[in-house]
Order: sequence, then structure tokens, then C-alpha cells
Amino acid sequence: MAISKTHNVLITGITSTLGRQLARLLYYDKRIGFILGVAIDDRPFYFDDFSPNRFHYMRVDLTKPRQVNNLFYSDIFKDMEIDTAIHMAFLNKPSDVGEKSHELNVVGTKMLIDKCIETGQVSKFIFKSSHLVYKIRPHNPVILDEEADLNFDKDAPQWIKNRVDADMICRAKMDNPKINVVVLRFSNIVGRNIHSLMNAYLSSKVAFSITGFDPMVNLIHPRDAIYAIQLAIHKNVKGVFNIVGRDTAPLHVFLELNKTKNRALPEPLQKIINDWQKKMGATDFDFKAGRELLKYAVLLDPAKAEKVLGYKPKHHVEFG
Amino acid sequence: MGNKTLENFWDVTLTPEEKERLEKIKINDLGFGYDIFGLNKDWLKTAYAVVKLLYQHYFRVESTGIENIPKEGRVILASNHSGGIPIDGAMIIMDVATKMEPPRLVRAIVDNFAAAMPFVGLFFYRVGQVIGHRKNFEVLLDNDEAILVFPGGTKDIGRLFKDRYNPEKFNVGFIELSLLYKAPIVPVAVVGAEEQLPVIHKWVKLGQIFGSPYFPVTPQFFLGGGPLTNFIPFPSKYHIYYGEPLEYYKYFSEDTVENPEMVQTLAADVRSKVVEMLQKGLKKRKGVFY
Repeated sequence: MAISKTHNVLITGITSTLGRQLARLLYYDKRIGFILGVAIDDRPFYFDDFSPNRFHYMRVDLTKPRQVNNLFYSDIFKDMEIDTAIHMAFLNKPSDVGEKSHELNVVGTKMLIDKCIETGQVSKFIFKSSHLVYKIRPHNPVILDEEADLNFDKDAPQWIKNRVDADMICRAKMDNPKINVVVLRFSNIVGRNIHSLMNAYLSSKVAFSITGFDPMVNLIHPRDAIYAIQLAIHKNVKGVFNIVGRDTAPLHVFLELNKTKNRALPEPLQKIINDWQKKMGATDFDFKAGRELLKYAVLLDPAKAEKVLGYKPKHHVEFG
Repeated sequence: MGNKTLENFWDVTLTPEEKERLEKIKINDLGFGYDIFGLNKDWLKTAYAVVKLLYQHYFRVESTGIENIPKEGRVILASNHSGGIPIDGAMIIMDVATKMEPPRLVRAIVDNFAAAMPFVGLFFYRVGQVIGHRKNFEVLLDNDEAILVFPGGTKDIGRLFKDRYNPEKFNVGFIELSLLYKAPIVPVAVVGAEEQLPVIHKWVKLGQIFGSPYFPVTPQFFLGGGPLTNFIPFPSKYHIYYGEPLEYYKYFSEDTVENPEMVQTLAADVRSKVVEMLQKGLKKRKGVFY
């Protein structure tokens, strides 16, 4: 697959931990011309060392159509010839549920991808999705490829439904000739200040596992996650890709490595204890959203990403 | 159960020779002592330490034709399935691990429902058993593993005692994969398991409570303990027969999988080989318990 020349990129959710790390990686990537960073916050201090010739920060609320329009009609967007959009603005905390979460995660994603197509200027749209969009079942195969069933369960928690809806919105645009849509489905990204279900679970004061279950889990280092995005920018690709990390082991192994206290509890007691833990501020993990994750393995098949993107994880997750 | 507890257990239970043998079994360790399915050597050694008591002293397993199993490379062992609970699978795995040189770990394909059951699914994965999904099968074949299948499925193990030694019609999935992956099939016949837990009735409603398709009612149910004594097997003597490898892939192309009738014929051929070995084994057998 040929490596393409300079790209000018739009990164949404640039103030998230991953967004910030990605911005820095791309800033020092000679194949990247200009970075337009977008987030809901005021411009943070950690971009102060970035030259205005290569980086511009815009405060945009992606749930507000007017602000999204202003972004796409702005001079900087046109003048800098932004050709690649990386959509990372997503409420990922397990506690992020409700209307606001739906508006950003689902409506915001739709608005953004539609606008990218409408301008005709953006030729690639990269969406950071998750392994949680897959239907997690006891009889799933040990590794799930990109064609595995998604979780369309009407009883699925809203937190999961939002992910599946956003993923599907992007997939629906896959055949659009004006744009190459790339959906990267990451397994559990684990690292400091990363909002993911598994990170929340491992960071709990006491992690309650489900009696009689100890699923195989894959963890991905944030540096590998942003490396996969970098590859997706530069390679002439489109489609869905599973992105995995280097570390795969049963859940209890990672709890031990992270020195997280672990107590097994029967499943019927889990929700009560989890609600109590959340009230006490002892965990951000949401049992309702992560129940299946504590019971059954969700390992992703990395073959397509390895073959088409050339992605291979390099880093072991750091614990403690 | 922590791995330290397991280590303490097998360390005192296994002989030095057994430890050395089990150490020779290769697993595709991903770096933490587990393969992608969750197989772990400490669990394997612990299971070996427990099952060997049944293998050596309770069912007193004898076998013929172990040399028919290739020493390395992918292979599919296709067996009849009987006895209400899958002790026959454990005995085949134990027999291959004990008698083959170098020892091989056979990965049995177990029924889907096992994965949903607390402890049961976990135990199966830790000792190398794998949920019956085509993709799992493919991963194992890609890794050149020895796979044990029961092509008669759950119907076969749940056969009523009156239908003993008459395996159900074989499913065709293992034939397709054998042709696609060029894996030889070793037919396996187990004599003795039918009498360990003679299933006289299938109680579906009770089974569903435990997440199982049915509850196999056996004469042991009426020994006074009901469900508690139901699964205590009689000490019938096991005889395992391994047939010569069937290499259909040498004579049939991969495209044969597109021909359902031919695939069905090959599955029936494997079944007939198993039935033939069962009949011979039954003739040779002097009694159920010896």
C-alpha cells in the first residue's frame, strides 16, 4: 500500500488524553502539514509550544449545528485545505449517559461526517470506535473479525447503543465515493487518564469480578492506539479495522499486575455493590455497561489491520 | 483459585516423570502463561493429577492404536460420544497425554452452552477445551493442534441407554475443515462409557435451570440422593480404539466442501469406521466392569 504525501488534518476531541497525544505525534510527523484541533474546552496550555504555522485550535461544541457549520466554513479550514478528519470527540466515561452523551456521540458524529462529505474537501474520515460494539456472547469465537455481529440488542445499555449507532453511521458512508471512511475498533485502551470501561475497572479501589468467570482480555497501550490512527491517515485505505494491543491474558492477571484488590462476587450482587461503589467514589466502572466484559472474552482478530494497515502493536501496557 | 494453590496441589500429586511429561506439552503462550483460549499449564497439571485417578484406578482405561495419531501437525480425532457427561472426552485426552511420545494435548471441541456456565466454562478453557465455533476450529488447525470432535454432538452423549453403541448421524463440519486444512482424521471408538451413566430419561426442564439442554436421569438418581447421586458414574472399564488416519484431502479437492452430498458421505464413512471399531471392541470385551 503506497504511503501518501502530506495531509492536513482536523482532530476533534483534541483535548482528550488520546487526542492530545495524537496531536503531538502528528505535529512531529513530517508528512503532516497542518493540524486543526477542535474541542469544547478553552485552548489548553499544553499546545502553547505548537507553532501557529502548523497548528490552530478552535473551540467547537459538536452538538451545536451552528458551531459545526462555522468550523467547516471557517477560513482556516478552507485555507489550510484540511483533507483528513479524525473524530475522537466522544464521551467515554462509563458515567457519561443521557441526552448529552447521545447528542455528542451519535448526533455529533453524524453531523460531522455529513459536513465532511458536503464540503467535498475532506477525502478521509477516521472514526475511533471500540470493541464494545460487538455482540458479546458466551459462544462467540475466541477472536472476532470485523464481520462479527454487532450488539443491536434492544436491551443493551444506552452507553453501548451510542457506540454501535455511531459506528453504524460511519459504516453507512463507507460506499460514498467522495470520502474514504476508516473505522478503527480498538480493544481496551489502558493508560493514565484514559476513559475506558476497562481502565475504570482496573482503577477501582476494589474490583469485583464475577464468581466463576475470568475472561481473556486484550489491552492496548495508548501509544499503539495513536500509531494505528497515524497509519490510517497515511495509508490509502478505507473500511473497518480491529486494533489490538500486545497484552492478552485472563482478567485476574491484569488485576494482579495493576495491584488492584480483587474480590469475586456472584453476579446477582454485582449491580448493588457497583452502585454503592460509584456513590462512594470508589469506582468509575459501570457494571451494567461492562457486565459481559467481565464474563466473556472479546478478543479481536488483528489479521486485517496487520495485512492492510501494516499495524502491529509494539508497547506493553504499564501498570501500577 | 490462584496459580500458586494449583502449583502446590500438582507438585505433591504428580510424580517427577509425570511432571516432566507434562512440561513437554507445548502451548502457544502469549506471554503470561496462557494461550489465546485461556489454556494454562498449572491448570492442566492439576486436571491431570485429578483425572489420572479416574483414568488409572476407576475406569482403568486401556487403549489400542495410539500410534495412529501423528506425532506432530494438525489432526482431527473423531469419536463417538456417550455416557451422559463428557468423561469419555477426558479419558481420550488423558490417554493421549499419557501414552504418546512426545505427549500431545488434545483440544476437545465442547458444546456452546458450557461457556455460559460459571466455573464450567472457565475450567474447560483453562485445561485446553474449546467452544464449538468454526473460527475456533480454524485457529486450532492453523496452530497445528490435535483436535477432538464428537460429530454426533450433544444428541450423541444424551442417547438413551436402549440406543447404546449406535452413534447419532455425524455432523459434517469436521469433514469440511479436514478438506480445507488438509488435516487427517483419526476415528476413535470408546467402549465402556455407555455403561457409566446409563441415561434412562432426559429431563429438559430441570436441565434448563442449570443452563444445560437437558438433565440426564440415570439409575443413580434413585440411589437416594436424586440429582446428587445422579452423576456418580459406575466404574465401567474403558477401552479406547484409535483407527488409521483417514486422509480424504488426498483424494478430494477443497471444492468438495461445496458438494453437500459428498461431504455427508465422507462423514458417514467416518461414522461407519467408528461403528466398526465399536462392534469389534464389544465382541472382544469380556464384561462391562473388567
